[in-house]
Amino acid sequence: MKLLSKDMYKELEDAVGKEFVSQEPVVLDGYAWQPIFNLTNQKWTPRPAAVVLPETTEEVQKIVKICNKHKVKFKPHSTGWAAWGSPSEEGELQIDLRRMGKIIELDEKNKYAIVEPYVCCAQLMAEAMKKGLTCHVIGAGPNTSALASATSAWGYGGTGLSTGYSGRNLLGVEWVQPSGDILRLGSPGSDSSWFSGEGPGPGLRGLMRGFAGTQGSLGVFTKIGIKLFPYYGPKEPKVDGVLLDVQVDVPETEKMFFVVAPNFQKYADITYKVGDAEIANWFTRSTLAAGPELFMPRAAKKIYKSKPIRSLLQTFQHQGVILLSSVSKREVAYQEKVLRQIAKDTGCVVVDLSQTAGYGFWWWLMGVRSIPTALTFRAGGDFLTSYGSPVEYDNAIKQAEVATQYKQKYIDKGSFFDDTSDIGWGGIYEGTANWGHVEMAAMFVRSDGKASERMEYLEESAESTVKQTLGLGLSNLPPGSWKIYGPMLNNYHLWQARIKKALDPNRVGDEEWYVPPIDELEP
Amino acid sequence: MSNISALKKDMESCSRCSHCKWVPMAQIKSSRFAKICPSVDYYHFHAYSGGGKMIATNSILEGRSELTDNVAEIIYKCQLCGGCQVSCLAYRDDIDLADVLLESRSKCVDEAYVLPEHLDVIESMKREDNTLGMLKKDRGNWAEDLDVPNINTGKVDVLFHAGCRYSYDEDLHRVAVNWVNLFKNAGIDIGIAGKDEACCGGRAFEIGYQGEMKNFADDMIGRVKASGAKLIITPCSDCYYTFKYLYPKNGLDAGIEVLHATEYAALLMKEGKLKPRKNVDMKVTYHDPCHLGRRGEIYRSGWTGDDKLLRPVRFKQSGMLGIFDPPRDIINSIPGIDFVEMERIREYSWCCGAGGGVYEAYPEFASWTANERIEEAKKTGAEAIVTACPWCERIFNDEIEANAHDIKVYDVVDLLFMSF
Repeated sequence: MKLLSKDMYKELEDAVGKEFVSQEPVVLDGYAWQPIFNLTNQKWTPRPAAVVLPETTEEVQKIVKICNKHKVKFKPHSTGWAAWGSPSEEGELQIDLRRMGKIIELDEKNKYAIVEPYVCCAQLMAEAMKKGLTCHVIGAGPNTSALASATSAWGYGGTGLSTGYSGRNLLGVEWVQPSGDILRLGSPGSDSSWFSGEGPGPGLRGLMRGFAGTQGSLGVFTKIGIKLFPYYGPKEPKVDGVLLDVQVDVPETEKMFFVVAPNFQKYADITYKVGDAEIANWFTRSTLAAGPELFMPRAAKKIYKSKPIRSLLQTFQHQGVILLSSVSKREVAYQEKVLRQIAKDTGCVVVDLSQTAGYGFWWWLMGVRSIPTALTFRAGGDFLTSYGSPVEYDNAIKQAEVATQYKQKYIDKGSFFDDTSDIGWGGIYEGTANWGHVEMAAMFVRSDGKASERMEYLEESAESTVKQTLGLGLSNLPPGSWKIYGPMLNNYHLWQARIKKALDPNRVGDEEWYVPPIDELEP
Repeated sequence: MSNISALKKDMESCSRCSHCKWVPMAQIKSSRFAKICPSVDYYHFHAYSGGGKMIATNSILEGRSELTDNVAEIIYKCQLCGGCQVSCLAYRDDIDLADVLLESRSKCVDEAYVLPEHLDVIESMKREDNTLGMLKKDRGNWAEDLDVPNINTGKVDVLFHAGCRYSYDEDLHRVAVNWVNLFKNAGIDIGIAGKDEACCGGRAFEIGYQGEMKNFADDMIGRVKASGAKLIITPCSDCYYTFKYLYPKNGLDAGIEVLHATEYAALLMKEGKLKPRKNVDMKVTYHDPCHLGRRGEIYRSGWTGDDKLLRPVRFKQSGMLGIFDPPRDIINSIPGIDFVEMERIREYSWCCGAGGGVYEAYPEFASWTANERIEEAKKTGAEAIVTACPWCERIFNDEIEANAHDIKVYDVVDLLFMSF
């Protein structure tokens, strides 16, 4: 086990206080268990040499400067879910930002909040709702950090249609760079309030995060301004229950529907049109067949084996759930008329969920708080985000068709059971139909001896995005993916490598999920 | 002996989503009161969370880490409130987190990583049949002025089991006395064991001395059978949890129904045998004791499979079948009461801080946890926190006095008595 030098450890203790640094092996292993996107055959990810818990930007700055002084790599994380938040090799310093969890400001008039790294989306949403606002929640769920997906990763949730995605909602950033210098991007960079990500002040969003973020390779983001969006429901709804037992009165200014299409193409058609009409607040694919896996894992295998039930489930394969939301009943009524007309024009069927049991569940858990998405990353899970997200819908259809073939191969081999889903994790994700509950693959469930087959599936499906020209396969971008995508995309990685070199001269930011500095690529 | 190895699959199923640190997402009502786990909120490192403790334990089982004094402290710095399990099981089917926490303590004891404060508790239990270091001969003092049958001298229909803290904490004697009087006045044939009552043994199990509980359970079961009682009533939430969860889980069955005092009172009210009359003009909130609420959920026995993902939902210990409504029904039945809820309630309630041996071993942590709850209660504007557990009441009273909080603490029975 690699440890920090005594001098460095002492300096960290002086920076944050003794009780907020640890090199106890058991504590460190708390940061070495990351089943999600651990794309190796190892159960554990590399154990950090120490973990440190800063409380302020100044403490983060001190820590980063200490790392530079001692030439020790660091990896920051906020809520810390997935392997890219942990060190990629032993001997690194884990910076756990969980003590930085304040909503510093919530500006109702200008519709933004200033938040620290450990504020989860559900916290931000709860406070924003009290002011008639809400926030975007990525597909991984409301337990994720609002800051992390905005600064350092990607993510697109069910409201993507009306809120865009996290990386686009960034309005100013406080950034402790790998050198230890603090830079404020956007309007806060010119000592203004946090209303704009591009200035007045330096507008370096592309350099800072690009499309997919740098997963903590380029320093530590300690504060962001994040855009908020109108919310028309009750400010503090009375909700009973925690999941399937949820009961809540749905306000008359919100209405939810299932939209059922006869095939993928029709589903794409209605999705285009709903987007063009700008009537939907939330729109995500939600096939009937996802239900058994998601909520009835005990019965799922039997259900999927039953031919009549499979047939019924597949009838509702191209189904989405849509939330209409507005300031007035009249406008929602108008939106409903538009939706029904679009459905008629595209040969789809609209089912009014307000007439069904469990309506409150659909509205609160899915339409507002994005909770079913939190049922992902587990054996017997599911994943839901907006259809089409970063790529056009026609590409999504193609991705699903290709993914179905790849998945079938592994179903035939017995790596997964046939759950009727048409896509899966792997290279093909977020941009596809987003219903691929083969979480046994993404999760570290290796007790049944099929782990290597699943790894093979992940690799093969990742490669398929290149072979079949499907665009970036985000979900399974392995470390070093720039080697594949860079040359295909005008050598963008060389620019990233120059940025890395310029901002991180001592190479202390863990670059495993990003790129090495330019002098390594072009010696 | 610890059975921790049997739970390895549960530990390895952790996806590190950290839901175990938060109130279930559907119930987050504010940023301030969004957390569920006192341990990780106070000590911060992931190893202190429910998921983190599973990872830590798995690390030890795999030989990556050693069980040391420091590691044992991480395991013991936890009230075993069960909040992590509720939040985990809201989304998962295959992890019994609270069982991992219990078994990891047992492993600590097996390997002699024990705390002196816990040893005091065990010594007291062995020597004097109580957890508080008091004399056995004084156990019945609380009932000195009560005109109530002793089960050693005659048969009764209902046995009232006071529990250690109600028996010895003089500030809380009134609660036990009032419950007995209330039931007596309702015409119930109720008796007590007086100085012959002994600890239920649950605290020993929780702090890792699992084998000790059996002795107390055998004693308890024998006493109950001899009494001829058909029902045990206890006002203590810890005892209730022991009877409803720990005994059956460990194959210890008294063959008799057990109710918490609030459950029984609520039943009697429905039958018209208890009826609050006088106005009690007070704004109050209710604190769900962990061991009466989510941990008070009866042990769901009968499933013996290997793959918990396939376990029928009726065997899932989700906490939602704990005792939540009877205390609220009683409070709401009292004329004049203005009842308001805190943000974290029922199975996703925040702990008082006193459980799991923390009150004895880590008083600062216990105190911090209690103050978090008191702040939450004060935010409702309530004049008083009402609860139904001696440990909650003790620590709330201590902290309110120490920090000059402007709020009072009552047991449910106090309000009932004000109304009679």
